[in-house]
Amino acid sequence: MNLLEVKNLNTSFHIGVGTVHAVRGISFHVAQGESVGIVGESGSGKSVTMLSVTGLLPDYAEVSADTIRFDGRELTKLSRKEVRALHGSEIGMIFQDPMTSLNPLFTVENQLTEPLKLHRRMDKRAARARALELLRQVDIPNPEARLKQYPHELSGGLRQRVMIAMAIACEPKMIIADEPTTALDVTIQAQILELLQTLKRESNASIIMITHDMGVIASMCSRILVMYGGAVCEQGDVREIFYGAKHPYTWGLLNSIPKVHQKRGEKLVPIVGTPPDMLQPPAGCPFSPRCRYCMPVCRAYMPPVTALSDTHSVACHLMHPKAPKIGRED
Amino acid sequence: MAQPLIEVKSLKMYFPVGNNLFGRRRQLKAVDDMTFELYPGETFGLVGESGCGKTTVGRALVRLYRPTGGQIFYRGTDIAPLDEKAVQPWRRKMQMIFQDPYASLNPRMTVSSIIAEPMRLQQVPEAEIEARVAELIGQVGLKKDHLNRYPHEFSGGQRQRIGIARALAMRPEFVVCDEPISALDVSIQAQVINMLEELQQRMGMTYLFVSHDLSMVRHISHRVGVMYLGHMVELADVEELYSHMQHPYTRALMSAVPIADPDLAAQTKRIVLQGDVPQPIDPPPGCPFASRCRDCRPVCREARPELRQVAPGHYVACHLYD
Repeated sequence: MNLLEVKNLNTSFHIGVGTVHAVRGISFHVAQGESVGIVGESGSGKSVTMLSVTGLLPDYAEVSADTIRFDGRELTKLSRKEVRALHGSEIGMIFQDPMTSLNPLFTVENQLTEPLKLHRRMDKRAARARALELLRQVDIPNPEARLKQYPHELSGGLRQRVMIAMAIACEPKMIIADEPTTALDVTIQAQILELLQTLKRESNASIIMITHDMGVIASMCSRILVMYGGAVCEQGDVREIFYGAKHPYTWGLLNSIPKVHQKRGEKLVPIVGTPPDMLQPPAGCPFSPRCRYCMPVCRAYMPPVTALSDTHSVACHLMHPKAPKIGRED
Repeated sequence: MAQPLIEVKSLKMYFPVGNNLFGRRRQLKAVDDMTFELYPGETFGLVGESGCGKTTVGRALVRLYRPTGGQIFYRGTDIAPLDEKAVQPWRRKMQMIFQDPYASLNPRMTVSSIIAEPMRLQQVPEAEIEARVAELIGQVGLKKDHLNRYPHEFSGGQRQRIGIARALAMRPEFVVCDEPISALDVSIQAQVINMLEELQQRMGMTYLFVSHDLSMVRHISHRVGVMYLGHMVELADVEELYSHMQHPYTRALMSAVPIADPDLAAQTKRIVLQGDVPQPIDPPPGCPFASRCRDCRPVCREARPELRQVAPGHYVACHLYD
């Protein structure tokens, strides 16, 4: 059973100089208990996709979709207020920067008990007891003392643990983690990733992990969506993407990071150029201006999605039977 | 081996922080007793977690800070004690590339005046400056019609190229690259790294590459130093370090790096360090890593381990190897 199903999601922002088409016709699904990674560069639309699904975008954003089905409910038919009521209870969110997403004026206790009082109608004592339990669950030492502290008194790693504790407070069915470790050091990142994995094992919640770090994806996720220019260019399970990628952008992403056993002096293969301007996205494939294998058709038409297996699909004109056969270069 | 370009001897950089009740100033020991050398034409990678003092080392070497103690021999001359005026002639040989390309370029200056500024400060004749600016903009892969634009018109990667052109303006011998790619997207990082490597090959510069991205450091460096809490805990040639790491901290740090290969990641056992990096304010005696080390012994809390050679060119500061 799919916990989340999204079909043909479009999101645009009307700003002074024009319309930014941030998400253009995305469809995907997330099964119960599955961990899905969304990778892409800044501006590829990965965060906006999840914010659109969860109704967290500002009013000037225009969101339309054929379906956004979460846990059997059609979110497109619910009012904004009803969608937002799902937050904190059925959908938990973890953001990149725990300094700006925690309220600096409230203690950890205030912030941690708020969703419990709101969604679970717990009284103060019960909420406090649950907050202590949550802090222990996310391995925060000395939880009694931490409850009384303010966010600025905590280190980055501890703040992110508090964020995670808030996200899981009401035992959500789905956790959305938007670059949860990007602001942290590698040793702290390892702690947080380990914690997320433990929590997932214990609760069987689905995790959607938004990141630009292929290393984090490789160790955390079972399925991957690769986004570029507001569209999904390739999706598949983790091995299909890492060892059998078909889209030139995915090759580019994998080739531009140093390999584990790469010797000094071997050149990295960068992707030339810069990501597209979403005010005026290219008419055809968004990646065509940077693609080494670009054909005339790529500039004119958006490529159709070709299914290669039950899980693996790719949107690229190279998949056309008459297109040249090109494999990934190392 | 060749003569070192820069020899750093027991470099200390302390910052005073606040007063306690009895008026005694407390000291934040950002860099404490670091000794190492940089050889001409090499890239020396300096890695460690935030707050370990790696950026401070870079800034002290180009004399943006005046060190609290120790010596920095630049081609044999100690530049550590020199005052602002006396250090000026050395400045043109040393440059810095900063982490944040949004904060390190003046938004009110055009690209050409940004690149020309170091030359104007060093009183290069105007006629020469113009030709040099045009040459530099080409070297970093930008176009001449970019010269009259302002920084906000450029993407992060392009801005970093402008910062690099500015750093190269005085034909430096030594460049400190302080996290030059960490603010950039993955596909752009590789562009900038390739460019830094090409420029080094062409001009023979020495780089101090400060970064927390251990796979990029492995890719670009000849030798690597690992820092923890203001101390150098391990130093070796890049291949030696990555294949025979000795210090418990180095091992934990390396194993924490997520591997972008699912099969390999599944086989590798992560060492997860407990707790956070302690504050380097009035640190206790003994090994700086003792509080988080799994192999900590009584001696580790009493005496600070010396950096000693365990294999040719491979230095470790750990009591396990006494």
